Amino acid sequence: MPIVQLHHARKVYDAKVAVEDLSFAIEPGTMFGLLGPNGSGKTSSIRMMIGITMPDSGSVSLFGQPFARKSLSRVGYLPEERGLYKKMNVFDQLVFLGRLHYLSASVAAARARSWCEKLKITEALPKKTEDLSKGMQQKIQFIATLLHDPELIIMDEPFSGLDPVNASLLMDTLLELRREGRTVLFSTHRMDQVERFCDNIALIHRGQLVLKGSMAAIKASYPRNRVHISFDGDDAFLRSPNIESLKRYNGHADIKLRPSAMLADDVQALLAAALRHARITRFEVSEPTLEEIFIEKVRESLPENNGLILHELQQAEGSYFGA
Amino acid sequence: MASFCTNCSKPKGVTSVPRIRAASLRNVLLIARREYRERIRTRGFLITTIMIPLIMSGFIFGSIFLGSRAPGDIHIAVVSSDPQLALDLQAELDRRQQQQEDSAAAAQESPTGASPAKKQARIIVEAMQPGPGTRTELKSNLESGDLDGYLWITPDAAPGGRPAIAFTPRSSGQAGIKNTLADALGQVLIREQLGHRGVAAADADSMLQPVTLATSHGLDHSAHESAEISVSVLFFVMYLVIMLYGMNVARSIIEEKTSRIFEVMLATIRPEAMMAGKIIGVGSVGLTQVGIWLAAVLLLSASSMGIHLGGDTLHVALTGSQVVYFLVYFILGFAFYSSIAAALGAMTNSEQELQQLNMFLLLPLLACFLMLGTLLTTPDSTLARVLALVPPFTPLLMYFRVSLGHPAGWEVVLSIVLTSASICVIVWATSRIYRVGVLMYGKRPSLPEILRWLKYS
Repeated sequence: MPIVQLHHARKVYDAKVAVEDLSFAIEPGTMFGLLGPNGSGKTSSIRMMIGITMPDSGSVSLFGQPFARKSLSRVGYLPEERGLYKKMNVFDQLVFLGRLHYLSASVAAARARSWCEKLKITEALPKKTEDLSKGMQQKIQFIATLLHDPELIIMDEPFSGLDPVNASLLMDTLLELRREGRTVLFSTHRMDQVERFCDNIALIHRGQLVLKGSMAAIKASYPRNRVHISFDGDDAFLRSPNIESLKRYNGHADIKLRPSAMLADDVQALLAAALRHARITRFEVSEPTLEEIFIEKVRESLPENNGLILHELQQAEGSYFGA
Repeated sequence: MASFCTNCSKPKGVTSVPRIRAASLRNVLLIARREYRERIRTRGFLITTIMIPLIMSGFIFGSIFLGSRAPGDIHIAVVSSDPQLALDLQAELDRRQQQQEDSAAAAQESPTGASPAKKQARIIVEAMQPGPGTRTELKSNLESGDLDGYLWITPDAAPGGRPAIAFTPRSSGQAGIKNTLADALGQVLIREQLGHRGVAAADADSMLQPVTLATSHGLDHSAHESAEISVSVLFFVMYLVIMLYGMNVARSIIEEKTSRIFEVMLATIRPEAMMAGKIIGVGSVGLTQVGIWLAAVLLLSASSMGIHLGGDTLHVALTGSQVVYFLVYFILGFAFYSSIAAALGAMTNSEQELQQLNMFLLLPLLACFLMLGTLLTTPDSTLARVLALVPPFTPLLMYFRVSLGHPAGWEVVLSIVLTSASICVIVWATSRIYRVGVLMYGKRPSLPEILRWLKYS
């Protein structure tokens, strides 16, 4: 029985269609990625799941039953737009938010302390929220989301504005929670950050589903035609006819090989050519990244002559690859 | 499996009537408690608690002080070809001044004497002969402030006729002087006429003696007057606190919108619970503040220091029932106006936008305030009786009537029922607006959009 299920959900705000005919399910104990560029309808979908808004048509169910307020005590939600009471003391704030989720004051206090220890932020407890750095406020908000030990954890852009050390600290925490049997829903436009961790994904664009399924199956359905190579020396091997496109960086190249029945042989040939010309420090073969798959999928689904969307996509492509 | 019906805007899964259950009641109290604790600790609370009574008593003592201070002399020039007229006028003015001071002193000595007599300014008259340069001279004297006004008396062509008199004051705010002068001049002229007709000066004096009306009151006049003062002060306090804390409710909703905390909250509790908690929390802060003031006033007036400071005039004359009525109507008024304020807060995104809308809050309150004069003189007039039953005006007006007028029992009950019912309607509508409005950002909603929100649950 899925924890969350959207069934032909549709949401329209005034003139803008936020979500159109969206269906997917999140299985218990998995890490699910709801992915798509900014403004694609991720937050609107999440708001429908937790009853902040209602779908205009279609249905949303939570924990296998129609949405009910009491289910919310089993959900932890980290909104994209973070919000804490600025003037309130951090510890009081955590206890207050915990109590709203039906914890007793003493349990909430104990959990707030142990979470702060775990995330190395105990020094923030006696401070006022507005005196904390943005990253620290985000960690506090993260703790507030988890205080009542929710079964379903919804993270909307959890790593925006976090440094890599803290981002990986939070990621490790979430992975640990998943191992303990919690369900985690990730919503982000930074596909590269979560593709390694998600069991299942749904890719959406302009409110519509582009691709969904298990991460492993999606990756397996694409040829391993990407080569990432770091080298030192002559780059003549990059002019091979087997290369469809490439991006050059200083001492590094990301290569896309032409479709071929003998892709594995082409890869070996490329490596051999490279070894003849240069000193290779890294040579990696992989499937396309999630971003590349996403862009390809959106391009396929485009109606002809839709110049605007195409332009948008090219810009997106640039930023994805450039990142 | 389907939790919401398809193709219709009304979801089945969510009850549309806000139900007060134990769980949401608990959340309401949690929100209220947080709101209360955070507010009561702020410096702003401390400052308003101390400053508002200081400012108010400053006004009261200030006006008493100003009233008791002897004002400066008023110089009036009398331009007349007959110098005797100016002399007579001066004598008449002095006589009047003396009379007033005597009666004021008598009133102060008497046990029922209420307020200390206000000292009148002495009017000093200078006689002038009309000449070619007189007007310009007078004008420059007026401008320099040496003169407060002048009388230009042109004798009538026919002997024994009334002269034409023109008064030119320095500023238009001297209507009081004009009346005094006109009265005094009238007396002088009558005396002159009487003299012409052969009436002896002493006879004329006794004929012109003003009638003194001995007044006596059925009730203890001073007690009634100080009750009026106390109730008026409480009326003002109620007006001020409702306005202040109503705006606080609106402001704190906007603050939650800008700090985005409401999204976390909405993923946890009902918007209705959030709103109710906020109103109760902020309202309790207001009640606490009023409670502190009341306690302080009662303590002060009970102690000798209060009597020393304020004298008899400021002693608090409130009965227990007046305090109870105050609390009842304060709570009703606060609930009424703060739920409107909550709707205003939910509809707007910034203080500036709120300021454009807050007339909805301030106008009815101001209207009540403007009614104060009518209420003081005729608390049981038809106008007061009708308006006191109209919900936006009930809390302030009915409180006043119940304290100082004589409303029928059914009027009091009806006013409470009507206001409570309209509070229910407003809270219902507001919670709907709030529910949709808190998620809105960007442009301010139009009226049709707000009406649509009411249907959306």
